[in-house]
Amino acid sequence: MDITLNVNGRPEQFSAQPNELLVERLRDGLGLTGTKVGCDTGQCGSCVVRLDGRSVKSCLVLTASAAGGEIATIEGVTTRGGELSGLQEALRQEHGTQCGFCTPGMVMALGELVDATADGPAPTEPEIREWLTGNLCRCTGYHSVVRGVQRACAAHRDEVPAGSAASTAAAPEV
Amino acid sequence: MTTVTGEAPADRGGVLGQPLDSREDPQLLRGEATYVADIDLPGTAHMAILGSPVAHARILSIETKAAEQLPGVLKVATAADFADVMPLPCIWIPGGVESHFPPHPYGLPGARPVLTGDTVRHVGDPIAVVVAETPRQAAAALAAIAVEYEPLPVVTRADEALADGAPQLHEAVPGNLNAYWTCGDKDRTDAAIAAAEVTVELDLVNQRTINSPIEPRGAVGDYDPATGEYTLYASTQGPHNHRFLLAALVLGIPFNKLRVIAPTVGGSFGTKGYLYPDMPLVLLLSKALGRPVKWVDTRTGLMNSTVQGRDHRQHVTLAGTRDGRITAVRCTSYANLGAYPSTIGPGVATALMGRSISGMYDIDAAFCEVYAAFTNTVSLGAQRGSGRAEAAFLMERLVDRYASEIGMDPAAVRRKNLVPKEKFPYDNGLGWTYDSGNYQLNFDKAIELSGYADMSARKAEARTRGKRLGVGIATYVAICGVGPSTRMSQEGMLGGTWESANIRVHPTGEVTVTVGSASTGQSHGTVFAQVAADELGIDPETVQVHEGDTQKAPYGQGTYGSRSYSMAAPAVALTARKLKAKLVRAGAVFLGVPEDKVVYEGGAIHEEGNPENTKTFAELAMAMWYGWGLPPEIEPALDETTHFDPPDFNYPFGTHVAVVEIDELTGETEVVAYTAVDDAGNIGNPKIVQGQIEGSIVHGLGQALLEVAEYDENGRLVSADLGHYALPRAADVPFFALDKTVTPSPHNPLGAKGAGEIATVPPAAAVVNAVVDALSDLGVRHIDMPLTPEKVWRRLRGESQ
Repeated sequence: MDITLNVNGRPEQFSAQPNELLVERLRDGLGLTGTKVGCDTGQCGSCVVRLDGRSVKSCLVLTASAAGGEIATIEGVTTRGGELSGLQEALRQEHGTQCGFCTPGMVMALGELVDATADGPAPTEPEIREWLTGNLCRCTGYHSVVRGVQRACAAHRDEVPAGSAASTAAAPEV
Repeated sequence: MTTVTGEAPADRGGVLGQPLDSREDPQLLRGEATYVADIDLPGTAHMAILGSPVAHARILSIETKAAEQLPGVLKVATAADFADVMPLPCIWIPGGVESHFPPHPYGLPGARPVLTGDTVRHVGDPIAVVVAETPRQAAAALAAIAVEYEPLPVVTRADEALADGAPQLHEAVPGNLNAYWTCGDKDRTDAAIAAAEVTVELDLVNQRTINSPIEPRGAVGDYDPATGEYTLYASTQGPHNHRFLLAALVLGIPFNKLRVIAPTVGGSFGTKGYLYPDMPLVLLLSKALGRPVKWVDTRTGLMNSTVQGRDHRQHVTLAGTRDGRITAVRCTSYANLGAYPSTIGPGVATALMGRSISGMYDIDAAFCEVYAAFTNTVSLGAQRGSGRAEAAFLMERLVDRYASEIGMDPAAVRRKNLVPKEKFPYDNGLGWTYDSGNYQLNFDKAIELSGYADMSARKAEARTRGKRLGVGIATYVAICGVGPSTRMSQEGMLGGTWESANIRVHPTGEVTVTVGSASTGQSHGTVFAQVAADELGIDPETVQVHEGDTQKAPYGQGTYGSRSYSMAAPAVALTARKLKAKLVRAGAVFLGVPEDKVVYEGGAIHEEGNPENTKTFAELAMAMWYGWGLPPEIEPALDETTHFDPPDFNYPFGTHVAVVEIDELTGETEVVAYTAVDDAGNIGNPKIVQGQIEGSIVHGLGQALLEVAEYDENGRLVSADLGHYALPRAADVPFFALDKTVTPSPHNPLGAKGAGEIATVPPAAAVVNAVVDALSDLGVRHIDMPLTPEKVWRRLRGESQ
């Protein structure tokens, strides 16, 4: 079937099988390999992209069902070698990635949280942790990721990050 | 090879030890890093592997014709196609072999063939492969391969595999026993236990767990008929090791015709250092088809093929006095090796566990025996903290039982038995000689930081909320820095375990460091640049680090057992010192002064007492590139390599305290506070180490509370996807309270000890101790992991285990 998608601001037209997964189109069809595949059952979150603004697991979305939609992948967050987004920069400062395989999915999922809370109060630590339950990470234990989100939200609000490595007793120098 | 001892550098105020941001992170955060699955060579064909659906059976026939005719299928291959290929070797033979020269692991009983042709021994055992134009076509063709099986009886537990009449896995291994291995003094230990005032015993199950790096494994084989050279891209933590094993021991091809490249690797935790059938298969099939062949595992595939961890059933005994002095510890363990001996699995299950059981305690008599057995399960291998975590678990559970038995505070019992500071180096009587430590300082710091003194009040407060609060302590010593090659040969390791680094100074003064190790997410590029820059007195921004490509990197063994910072980083430091020494010799010429008047300081040389007579690092680099005026005994250029083989291992240690609350209605256990004080010697980059410690603790908490590789009575892995195998998620853990003590190791020039995975060692023991503490008034003395709400709920209601 013929399908049109808007991916990172670019219109893409192609023919796809009805059973094709969105992640297959992105990785194999469009060469956008920043989106990762870590499991077969929608558990790990490495393949999260944003579809019409909402973060979705692209291994659980059929390409056909996304037809006409606006897709944002990690490649659309910044250019290759380009300046990091506020969230990415905050994660960098908190070392919120180790092997990096889950990271693009994390950035896409957390991007929605940061955007969704931009005009209100910053999300609390439990809210951030709850939001992150759709993304598995085996390296970091999540702490540096949570601190990264706190830092990003604080920077957006021009505040000292509540849970950053610099300011909390929970994370003294090791 | 170089060995350096006794040099623990003071804080020089350099860049080493600073929490620099990881230079790898931006690329990872932008999703730009290339993992195996992202490699797309022109003309690539795709491989899929048919794994056995049954745990134990004789193969009566395999019919591949239908599969061969499906669209896109290029090749279907079975064991018959690989008759010349040697089985995958195991290179860690517990207890050593008679002679290590020449080392020759061929013919070890039970070794895994590349594909199995006559018998399948676990679910997932590879039987056939399909190569097709697309991954979907390859996967679809697997379903068209018809295999006729004659079922055989199944055994999945090590103790049951050793019983009379148990199903037999390998004709060459009667009774399924791979190794009976011991360490320590049996007679002395038995006598101490017989004479003891108090003895306590426990039967423990250290359940099988699955490492679960988020990146599944993958491999791309690319054979070039023009040169006869093979290239393997693989998610490996030891590209040189894989090259050695494949070229020399499996494929029998010239060493210089195989190149192994580790691209970015998405976590490993032990699993990606092993040799798997897919690696030779993609190489051989690439040659056969004249195209690159790519294979990427699925999650369920990984869970049925990639090495799993832990899996001991143990009977353990501790003896002591009424006033809290431990006099003996003894362990009998049944270790489950799975269906085949993995690359180093048998060593993990024996020496790494057995020699570690006495932990931080000064115990007069200790003994451990391990029966390592084959079963119809996935092969066993390393898992973050492997061996050491199993040892800490049994010891720390025993100490709590003992404290309870004699009515003494568990912290007081521990403190009384710590190896005293003045006893280092300390021979633990089990085969390890601990290099250095101040256990009292470390222990006291953790107890203080955890607020241990206030726990009674907190328990009472929790009860008013329907919660039972418990506190559990666990200490540990984690052998790291594997290791001294001769010492490892005595353990049965067939192969060197040294590490290497090369530093090349470019004519314009920038520096490239190349190491034999290979990162799986540990920011090697950041930390090794810090080491080189610190030694040379230059800006770390001018230092690039490369690794992971056997054609470019000096020989080295890879990253495992938290070894890179105490094995590869010392090689970097020693190489930098060689360069400095050369620059001092050459500097005498450039400054026109005697060599003993040349001072190397701050990335430059100057004449002693005359700072005006000086040359910068960049000036020296260019001068050495030109080579003008050098005497014949000084070679031009600046390019040095070091192979570092330490005099002995190093022994990080630490104390963790878990505080849990159990919901009396639901049985749910929540970790509400967690304190960790670890000692990894001198640390290169505290920010990176903090991340590794946090991740390690969460991994350990996963074993305590969530994770188990569950095999049913037919040998089928029930928990074969991430919906059934529960990994910790962000909401499962609180922030931790972390601190450190610093006791440099005398066994390397940086005073470094292993760090990356050490904090995985104690959490399981700390959490189980905490839960048993919370339930102790109900008469609960032990609960097997994982501590699921149902299990705890039943114990709350007085049911026995």
